[in-house]
Formats: sequence, C-alpha cells, structure tokens
Amino acid sequence: MTSLRQAWLLARNDLRQELRDLELVLTAGFFSLVVLVMFGLSFSALGREAQVLAIPGVLWLAVAFIGALTLTRIFDREREADTLRALLVAPVERQAIYLGKALVTLMVLLGCMAVLVPGLLLLFPAAAPMATRPGATACLVVLGCIAYTSVGTLFAAGLASSGGKNVLLSVILYPLTTPALLVAVVATRALLEGHPAFPAYLKQLAAIDAVTMVLSIWLFESVLVGTGASARRR
Amino acid sequence: MARRLPTVFLVAAAFIFPYCVQRIFLHTPIEREMGTAQKIFYFHVPLAWLMMAFAIVAGIAAGIQLRRGSLRAEATALAAAEIVLLTGIGVLVTGPIWGHATWGHAWTWDARQVTTGLHWLIFAAYLLVRRYGAAGSDRLAAALAIFGAVNVPIIYYAVKIWKTTHPSNEVVGSLPAEMWASLWPALIALALLSIALLLVRLRQELTDIALDEAWIRLNERGEA
Repeated sequence: MTSLRQAWLLARNDLRQELRDLELVLTAGFFSLVVLVMFGLSFSALGREAQVLAIPGVLWLAVAFIGALTLTRIFDREREADTLRALLVAPVERQAIYLGKALVTLMVLLGCMAVLVPGLLLLFPAAAPMATRPGATACLVVLGCIAYTSVGTLFAAGLASSGGKNVLLSVILYPLTTPALLVAVVATRALLEGHPAFPAYLKQLAAIDAVTMVLSIWLFESVLVGTGASARRR
Repeated sequence: MARRLPTVFLVAAAFIFPYCVQRIFLHTPIEREMGTAQKIFYFHVPLAWLMMAFAIVAGIAAGIQLRRGSLRAEATALAAAEIVLLTGIGVLVTGPIWGHATWGHAWTWDARQVTTGLHWLIFAAYLLVRRYGAAGSDRLAAALAIFGAVNVPIIYYAVKIWKTTHPSNEVVGSLPAEMWASLWPALIALALLSIALLLVRLRQELTDIALDEAWIRLNERGEA
C-alpha cells in the first residue's frame, strides 16, 4: 500500500510540474495531430475495406511514435535537473518510482489517444465502430497503452540512469513492444469488423500487460542501480 | 582439458556434419507430400531449438549478472546472445526457403515467423546496446536478454495460441524412426558447433574483462 501511495505522490508531483508548463501535453498532443494528418493524407483515398486494415496500424504506430517521444522527455527532465539521483536516495520504494513514472506516461499516452481516436473517426468512415462501442474501445486503448508503458518506462529509466543515448531507446523499445502492439492491431481490426474473437484478443493483451508489468517491476531496481555485487562493482 | 574443449567440439562437429548431410540426402526417405524441400527441416528444426535454448541461457546468465554482478555470467550472456543471433539467421533463412517450396510464399506473416523475427530483433537490440550503450548500460542490456528469454515460450506456443500455417509442435514427435535417425546427427553437429563458438567467445570476453581490470589497476598504481 505504501508503494502505491508513494507512486501516486511521485506521479502527482510530475503531473503538477507538467501542469505548470504543459510541455509534454502540448508537444505530444501536437505530435499526435501531425501524425494523424500525415496518415490521413496518405490513406484518405482508401476504400472502406482497406481502411479497416489501415486504421489499426495507423493508431498503434502513432502510439509507438508518441510513446517513444514521451518516455524520452519524462526522464530527460530528471536528467537535466540531476534529480534522478536525488529520487534514488530518497526514502521511497524503487517500485514506487517505476509505478509513478509509468502512471504519468500512461496518462500522457491516454491524453494523446483522446486526440487520435476522434481524429480517426473524423478522417475514416470505417472507424465508426469505435464510436458505437465506446466501452470496448476504451478497454482496448487502455490495455494497449499499459503494455507499451510498462516496458517503455523500465528501459527509459535504465537509459537515463546510465547516461545512454536516447537513440537506443527506440532500438530497444520497438522490438520489445511489437508483440503487444501486434495483438492490439489485431484486436482493433476485430473491433472494426465486429469479429467475435475481440474479447479473446483483449484477454491476450491483458496477459501481456500482466507479464510485462511484473517483469518490469521485478527488474527495475537491478536495471536502475544494480543489486548486490553489481552495485558495489560500479 | 577445458582449454581444448572448443577444439574438441569443433573437430567432432567437422566429422559429424558431413555424415549427417550424407545421411539426410542419401539415406533418409523423401517425404511424400513435401518432397525434397522437406530436407531443410533437418537443419531448420535443430537451429530453431538451439536459438531458443541459447536465448534461455542468455536470459538466465543475464539474471545472474543482475543479481550477483558476476562477470562470468555477463560474458556468458553476451556470448549466448551472439549465438542466438547466428542461429536466428539460420532459422530465418531456412524457414522462408521451406515456406516458399511448400506454401508458395516465403513469408506469410505466420505467428511463428513473426515471433521468431521479433526474437531475433530483441537479441540484435541487446548486442547494439552492449556495443554502443554508455557505462552502466550492461544492466539495461541484461534486462533486454531476460525479456528475450521470456519470448521463448511465446515462440513455442505461437502455433497453439494463434491460427497458423506453420506445422504444429507435434510434427517432430510423430516423425518415423529413420527421419529421427537423421535429425539427431544434425542436432548434435550444430549443437557442438554452437557450444564451441560460445566457449571461444566466452574466453575472449573474459580475457577482455581481465585486460580492462589490469589496465585500471595499472593506472591506479601510476596515480598513487
């Protein structure tokens, strides 16, 4: 319970910072809009059947791009102010740091989804089932974003703490998140087609979320600071 | 003896491999439905097994590296990841050749193909992080290797979870005895070659680490 409370406090602190300058919300929101316009220009001439195939890819590719941008920025702030070290020596659980950062990233991604999904509805008539089944769409969007965030936060934090180059984040992130994004793409297509396998895909996505979240929480401390001999050696 | 182990394995593989090629092409019956294209199975399947086995080795070694800070485990994870990359190339080349002959398409976006391709990308990313990451990114790479190892059961069960055109896992178990008799030598030859390469790379990495530490000690003594 303490970890969850600490995570919420850390996330609230980041959100408060974000509310002051709106840097992440505005840049990620604008980026979502630009990606949407670019995809719209590329695929607006497609017929309805082809749109059903294109829309899932557009949605989750946009999430992949925006997620990488958000994750880089979230830890850049800590790096620029040199507060990551302060955060690590503060009396908070390491898991709470992970959960706090993951929560902020998730909220930003969901905010971007609030631009992307209505944008797709506006640009592509085949996206209409997203509006007629808002509950199913919300579940899909949340589960897909959790899968991306859970892995992304672990590696973005590790890269920030090791002073690594941000270009490596994309190298790591895309192969690792593609299985989840792939299931999300298939589930989105099932939603648009009204396929009965849609709930089964949601369950698969939830299972991926659970595995990546547990693994990321378990590895977070080791990746960030090292444990035992590995921490002493460095 | 331990120093000579890679040489012993390489020599053994050099003798077994020509024997297994001769066995596969001259003494194993041609499969009724797929014809001679099925011969690639004797290389594809052992390579896939080795790719998955070495991914698990890399994942376990990376876990030990993270928990205990063991340099030997770190070197083992790196060497095993390189073998995953090599055997992965073998799997991803032989698979589409077989697919082209039997399905008519080299790449069908089958779940087993996709998960194997992603698996290869994860280990390629691992080696990129090891090569170009800043100090401390070895821990990051280790986490990547663990995620790669977790991907192994997903590859294995991909044909059960999703609808695929790839043959099921039970195909290997249902092989007639004469086909098994050809599969074993291929597996042994490729396994010996992979283990020999792993041992060579492991020794190189440990020497590299020892040289680094000697250099640091020398500098510290110079400063003192």
